Amino acid sequence: MGIPSAPLVTRAFKDLAILNAAKRGMPHERICFTPHPVWGKTPEEVRVYVEGPDPVSGKPLMKEIVDALTVPLSDDEKKSGIVSVSVGPPTFTDTADNLQDFYLNNGYTDFLPIILPTEERVDAMMKGTSHKPDEVVGKMAAGAYPPWSYNVRQAAASAVMAGCRPEYFPIALAIASTGIASLFSSTNSFAFAMIVNGPIRDKLEFNYGIGALGPFAQPNATIGRCWTLMSKNLGNGGIPGDTYLGSLGNNLNYNNVVIAEHEDASPWVPFHVQRGFKKEENVVSLFRGLGVVPGQVARGSSANENVQFDYQMSDLFSTFTGFFGALIIADPLVAARLKEQGYDTKEKLFDWLYKNTTQTVKDYKSRNYAYLFEYPQALQGREPYATWYKLPDDAVIPHFPRPESFNIVVAGGQTNAYPQAGNLSYGVSVSIDKWM
Amino acid sequence: MVTIAFKDLALTNCAKRGMPLQRISFTPHPVWGKTDEQMYAYLDGNDPVSGKPLMKEVVDSLTRPLTADELKTGTVTPPTGAPTFTDTADNLQQYFLDNGMTDFMPITIPTQEKVAAMLKATSHKPDEVVGKMTPAQGAFPPWSYTVQQVAVNAVMAGAIPDYFPTILAIASTGISALFSSTNSLVSAAVINGPVRDKLQMNYGIGAMGPFNQANATIGRAWTLMSKNLDGGGIAGETYMGSQGNVINYNNLIIPENEKDSPWPPFHVQKGFKPEENIISFFFGFNITQGQGGKGLGVKPIPLYNVAMSANVAPFAGLFGALFILDPLVANGLGDLGFKTKDQLADWLVKNTTVTVKDVKTMLFSGLPRGPEAANLTDDSVIPKWPRADSYNFVVCGGQTNPYHQLANMSYRLSVSIDKWT
Amino acid sequence: MNRRNLLSLLGMSPAVLAASPLLADDKKKKEKEKGSASAGVVKLTALNPRGLPPPITLIPMAPRPASLDGKTIYLVSDGFPGADAFLNQISIWFKKNMPSVTTVYRLKAGGFADDDPKLFAEIKAKGQAVIMAIGH
Repeated sequence: MGIPSAPLVTRAFKDLAILNAAKRGMPHERICFTPHPVWGKTPEEVRVYVEGPDPVSGKPLMKEIVDALTVPLSDDEKKSGIVSVSVGPPTFTDTADNLQDFYLNNGYTDFLPIILPTEERVDAMMKGTSHKPDEVVGKMAAGAYPPWSYNVRQAAASAVMAGCRPEYFPIALAIASTGIASLFSSTNSFAFAMIVNGPIRDKLEFNYGIGALGPFAQPNATIGRCWTLMSKNLGNGGIPGDTYLGSLGNNLNYNNVVIAEHEDASPWVPFHVQRGFKKEENVVSLFRGLGVVPGQVARGSSANENVQFDYQMSDLFSTFTGFFGALIIADPLVAARLKEQGYDTKEKLFDWLYKNTTQTVKDYKSRNYAYLFEYPQALQGREPYATWYKLPDDAVIPHFPRPESFNIVVAGGQTNAYPQAGNLSYGVSVSIDKWM
Repeated sequence: MVTIAFKDLALTNCAKRGMPLQRISFTPHPVWGKTDEQMYAYLDGNDPVSGKPLMKEVVDSLTRPLTADELKTGTVTPPTGAPTFTDTADNLQQYFLDNGMTDFMPITIPTQEKVAAMLKATSHKPDEVVGKMTPAQGAFPPWSYTVQQVAVNAVMAGAIPDYFPTILAIASTGISALFSSTNSLVSAAVINGPVRDKLQMNYGIGAMGPFNQANATIGRAWTLMSKNLDGGGIAGETYMGSQGNVINYNNLIIPENEKDSPWPPFHVQKGFKPEENIISFFFGFNITQGQGGKGLGVKPIPLYNVAMSANVAPFAGLFGALFILDPLVANGLGDLGFKTKDQLADWLVKNTTVTVKDVKTMLFSGLPRGPEAANLTDDSVIPKWPRADSYNFVVCGGQTNPYHQLANMSYRLSVSIDKWT
Repeated sequence: MNRRNLLSLLGMSPAVLAASPLLADDKKKKEKEKGSASAGVVKLTALNPRGLPPPITLIPMAPRPASLDGKTIYLVSDGFPGADAFLNQISIWFKKNMPSVTTVYRLKAGGFADDDPKLFAEIKAKGQAVIMAIGH
């Protein structure tokens, strides 16, 4: 822009601010820091911040800001040119135990034991695809950072480390090709999910029965884990304070939510067919949001022959943020019951849920995400937010912006009619077959 | 009589309890949710396992004379396999996986050398019995296990010897992380005391996620022990969670951020001294995030208590509420007037309410009993949890933003880690 | 940690790390513990799993005015909670301490990482400096 600027950041984001400025080409940017937090402070408390010192430099804050805008530039600050970034040598040689420690200490792992990615194992992994080792698979950034790019061989290293078998590799490549990281930088500690559809589920023996979401099958466990390792190694994600700022973190990030759909037990079309793919195509679909919760205890769930799963879901969603969508993970028994209740298509269910999951405008406005992400959109005239923000406080509006906010996938072992639901938004579906 | 969904469970459990030839009849699944007509049709039809007419089979079970095998008595020792396995590293990885001894991810192979190193981290003897565990009390006979057997699982998980006393403390409780219920329930453990810093546990940014060796491997060891030390985690037999739970991979290991908390640490609240190293256990449905809560967008100070209260609405009354609060929230609650956890719990008891009508429609939520229940009508408004101790609070997080997570879990017990050093 | 150490993390090579005293000591310690067994321990070669970071194009900073007297400073918020209140206090500070400075408050459009060409064009035309509150 060419205008002298003094960026202000709270001290909680010091490392992030300095590193990101450097990554974007201004390593000497004159960043000033304030105490933390600013959010939740009264005007009087904030005034004290402004009149006090920068907690990082110790200098009076306002003097530092004025200096940032007026002190002449140094030679370093005037520099231009290109700086390349090194990730170190292409291989490491040591004993197996030392290498395990080395990979862990260098941030290449999720802090659990890995299979060491020797040349031999990486070559074996790459036999799982017809794509060449040096072919660029995609680019990934775990947030608002310049993206890293990566090739088939680099993705194979993470797949080996995760414990994947070569036949799982096309799925890992399909995920890598989307550039979506499962370790996102936000302070919100986002969770990520994938749905796997097509004959590959049975070929690779995914578990979509009892314990479908848990540690009971190798493809479910290792492909989920691989996404996290790729996000660290290929996308430079997951560095606390730099590329990961989740205040509490999310347990779901270890293996992510891996859902192989129980297509045969579903009364509806499979998820990928809904997205326009053919039944026999192998597809992986990715989601992002806050997490997954059990549905069986919400209102409407009581033990009689008329469990109203639609009311149950609607009650459950009242604590979700409408900023993300709702992904119902329905045990086949739940899906069968919903069909019996009259929802012979998914769209009918979503329409009902959209109309019957409601909130008052007052409650809506009091939510954090509404204020942060949707109010600015309302100001730009985007619907439905523009209309919602004009309504009186006691008006009743939908909890979610549109029927397309909802999705449903069928998975589970039918030991009981229990659903789970994710406060998750659909992202993208990609072909696994393309990566075979 | 058992529905077909539980066939494996029924057969294996009968065998474990001493009646391997028990005459079980199976019905179609489910029975729950069926009308009277539909259930009668089951009885009128065939056992889906044997193919025989069901009621004839039931009458037969009750009248046919016992065979010689069915009359047997005596003791049968179940085999657990050879004490060691020898092969290449790659083959051993595959062997452990194929034999159901892992969570399907790479392990550190538990060699004699590594197990010996792990055993050095405790003063307890290798063959000392640590405890007994079962995937469900009363449903499966518990298994017992020694310090050495716990060490093997700790090595497999990737833990270093420093973590071993904490892992032994978990094992000593006999609490399985893979409870067999169809509800896919989960466990959490809160860690207090100087051990958190000694082990360099993460209670800052990303505390609940994959950013620290202690947090990750201690949690994973719990899952591996829950499979290997009690025969747990066998889908369809000792694990019946219809959909399973993602949390079971590593469980919830929550070191408290004691230094940034305005309140006494959790273990001190439970009567322990600050310098004691304590691990406290919780059990229940799940953990969820609080960012959707009403009131968090209010300026200038978010109404954290209002959001917390709103967020527990779909929780089951059977378990309590465990809040995991970023230090910014704990301090922010102080700005709102909640200087102690008790003040907060009292407010939540009063302000988190349900109608009797709603409770009646919720699974795993019950109505109050006793004299005061006599006057309740469907429209009566009652506390969701009448007791303040249904609410628990732990402070954890890196203060990048004032967020909280919440678990539909009840506190069970606290044990000493120091005891296992 | 100071800025220099932090910046070195960006380009820190594991090869440099391997040569560092810290890892060398760690290796020595492990070797000592293994004793004579270290002679027979097999070594493996494993691949670096990292992707390819983009090169950094350095952006020269904008030249500074000699003083802010009589200048217009835009106070820009990226929308994080509390930013508006904070920038308001800054404008109060200028009124009290540097009254010849004019401040103009603006909320940047879109998400916190989004560009706002309209706003930046306005600032370029009408302002001489920016103080931007950045958060999430």
